[in-house]
Amino acid sequence: MKRYYNVHMIWGVMLALTAATYTTGLVDVSGVDVVVWLLLASLIKGSFIIRDFMGLKGVSLLWKVIMYGWLWSICIVIAVTYSISL
Amino acid sequence: MAELALTTVRYHKIMQVTTTEIELKPLPGDLAIWFFIFMELLVFGVFFIIYAVVRLQHSDLFNQYQLTLNRDIGAVNTLLLITSSYFVVRAVDAIRHNQTTYCIQWLYAALLAGAGFLILKSVEYVAIFSDGINVTTNTFYMFYLSLTLFHFFHVILGMIILFAIVIKAKKGAYNADNHIGIETGASYWHMVDLVWIILFPLVYLIR
Repeated sequence: MKRYYNVHMIWGVMLALTAATYTTGLVDVSGVDVVVWLLLASLIKGSFIIRDFMGLKGVSLLWKVIMYGWLWSICIVIAVTYSISL
Repeated sequence: MAELALTTVRYHKIMQVTTTEIELKPLPGDLAIWFFIFMELLVFGVFFIIYAVVRLQHSDLFNQYQLTLNRDIGAVNTLLLITSSYFVVRAVDAIRHNQTTYCIQWLYAALLAGAGFLILKSVEYVAIFSDGINVTTNTFYMFYLSLTLFHFFHVILGMIILFAIVIKAKKGAYNADNHIGIETGASYWHMVDLVWIILFPLVYLIR
């Protein structure tokens, strides 16, 4: 698995996830499951950027908590406020 | 006696392996940029949360006017920023292997993709402003324009940083032993991409 896990593959996965979320937007569906899917895609892409593009794999726990904490807390707040608005 | 020696050697090996595993990697680039990144993420984070909370009270309005946005441009811009970020990763990797020429070429490619983002974003703004829309039109457009313009200027600043790095790299300022400047600029650029990764679905897609 390690052989395939590299920045090129990550770039491809992020492009594919973007295309998939864009298509979701096109078919004009809404609802909690759609929002969870869109935010999950952002979490995955965001994690790739933090871990592999920014290179924060192996750095101190503090900075991992700061960066991933930011990503997760924003996505959770968006999901919660969205589900309240329904 | 031989057995004791063997056990001692094995013990040291285990200790050596355990100590290297705990060894932490330093943050890439200058520490100061990470505090700057942290502050920028906080500001954008507050912006995103306020957007999500205000949307609670105006969901019909947000859903209605969200449909007026150009999602095609939004999606292409996401692809451009992700690709530009990937090019910057390749630039950092190249300089770590003393390949200055490749590093400069990847940085140019990143700047090109960044320019593409700015051009497409400007096309989007021209269409919106020529329809007579501005920050006072309604709550949705106030958020949309201020959030995306704020990010727009961060992209411009990021490109200025990358361009300054290209100029220094051409003068031979960076090599495998000295490339903190490139890592610093790269970290900022990745932050600009990270913010857009949240902004795009939040503003263009979630309804």
